[in-house]
Amino acid sequence: MNWREWQARQAVVELGDRFLSYVDLGTGRPVVMLHGIPTWSFLWSALAPALALTHRVLVPDLLGYGYSDRRDCFDRSVSRQAEVVDAWMDRLGVVDAVVVAHDVGGGVAQHLAVRFPRRVGRLCLMDSVCYDAWPLELMLQLGHPGAVRKLSAEAVQRLLKLGMRRGGFARAPPDGVIEGLLAPYATEVGKVSLVRNAVSLNTNHTLEVAPRLGHLGVPVLILWGEDDGFLPPKYGERLAWDIPGARYVKVPGAKHFVMWDAPHMVATELFRFLGVEAPAEAVERASASLPPP
Amino acid sequence: MARAKQVSERDADGDVERVYHELRQVLRVTGVDVSLRLWAAFPRFFASMWEAMEPNVETRAFEEAADRLRDEALDAAAEWEELGAWDAVTLGPSQRFHVRGVLELYGALQPKVLLLASAVRLALVAEPVGRNAVPGAAERVERGAPARMAAMEWVSERPDDALLRSLFADIVKTVGQPGVPGEYRALALWPEYLEAAWSRLKPRMAEDDFVHAAEALGRSARREARALPYGVTLSREWVASQGEAAAAVFRVTDALERRLPMLLLNLAQLTLDAPEVERRPVPAASRLVPDWVAAGELR
Repeated sequence: MNWREWQARQAVVELGDRFLSYVDLGTGRPVVMLHGIPTWSFLWSALAPALALTHRVLVPDLLGYGYSDRRDCFDRSVSRQAEVVDAWMDRLGVVDAVVVAHDVGGGVAQHLAVRFPRRVGRLCLMDSVCYDAWPLELMLQLGHPGAVRKLSAEAVQRLLKLGMRRGGFARAPPDGVIEGLLAPYATEVGKVSLVRNAVSLNTNHTLEVAPRLGHLGVPVLILWGEDDGFLPPKYGERLAWDIPGARYVKVPGAKHFVMWDAPHMVATELFRFLGVEAPAEAVERASASLPPP
Repeated sequence: MARAKQVSERDADGDVERVYHELRQVLRVTGVDVSLRLWAAFPRFFASMWEAMEPNVETRAFEEAADRLRDEALDAAAEWEELGAWDAVTLGPSQRFHVRGVLELYGALQPKVLLLASAVRLALVAEPVGRNAVPGAAERVERGAPARMAAMEWVSERPDDALLRSLFADIVKTVGQPGVPGEYRALALWPEYLEAAWSRLKPRMAEDDFVHAAEALGRSARREARALPYGVTLSREWVASQGEAAAAVFRVTDALERRLPMLLLNLAQLTLDAPEVERRPVPAASRLVPDWVAAGELR
């Protein structure tokens, strides 16, 4: 599925003066999938349809990301995002869900699990921001208000594509994936929104909830790319030590975008975590867009 | 007219940056449109023009005059056959939400820009603008873009996509220079929709009804400009005395004033074609500031 086809599947919900776009696939127990920076819900475009064979899969663009509200007038911190996700789930009538989250989405998920515990029935963190592992230096530079003037939208796209190709993927993802992941940020409005998202990345917000991660009381799966250079596996291990009963799975040969580097293994682990046998079609579907090694 | 220079919000500095901020606040929109960016290429004119026009633009009278122009365009468009672009494409719910946002944003903005362009053009040909009310006498409206107004997001004027390049070229050829109008660059975020819309709008623009409606709208805009509350001191001589190319400023203003009624009529057709788009988007609240503050701000 290319990014435009994914975008065409998005519904929208207004929450006060803000709005969220999201994809809603399948039926069954809800699974909420949260993306990180600098991506959007398209990050899950291979995995979500596979999970939707057995579950209702809800994939929002976080506030300020993708095709959700990107106006230049609100807070985008993980703390605020958790409140928005809570309100969004409330609006959709979803009481609790299995929350699967990557990168900054993992920070949002940690806040959601700690502050709105009834929303999170199970939690899967993939190469997630946590503790003081973040923000990356590139994001700190991008988040400087001066970046809006210094860098054109084209320059930001070039910079991020290079960064993602070099450090994000262990092998080249299918054609159009990186372009699709960055598509919402190709315009000036998109670039400004990305800069504002970057300036919202705040170590304190994960340190704030870190002491409470040991009291989550829900099953937790931690999936981490063994070669992730953005958020090294030691942080995944630390999470596993701090969260009683958490299962830690290191994904061999994968970097930060673990769901694209190892879709077969990630899908298999997720189905196991969901407590259902993975339909053969699902794992096939998750890996379908993968180019030959 | 060759491709005219535009000053982007990112590149604006000094007086132009200041005026851009004021324009967003006073016009109550989320960005600075193409027409205004074209004027900003003449920075001394731009700052003087804004100083001369701002007292009018921030009034309830200006807002209501713009509402009447929008209504006139919508009433004219309502007489024509439905466009059918909205139903011709398979956009998802979020995409349709965004398109509606663009139509409402430009529905709020374009009548104001038309009124502004008409007033400036009248001033540049030494015709009277405004009724010389006492400064501070007219009610003012609240500043700032409404919380729910869409962001002003555009595709590049020279896009990589061949379909968009060809559409943009055809649009400029049909509506006239200078530059691809902002609403088309915004709608180009959904190329299929823009193509469906433009392929239906273009043939109508050659019809007598459309031409007459555009002429009438242009006349209405000048009438409304003459009736604004405050007199406007702006002239070609003043522009020249500021060291700007007065003839070039006039050419751009004249071209803008000529094409804006057509753009507004097209926008009205798109508005009527799309369900649930507000005819009068984001009405303005009164600005509740003491008179002595208002008088001081009016300099």
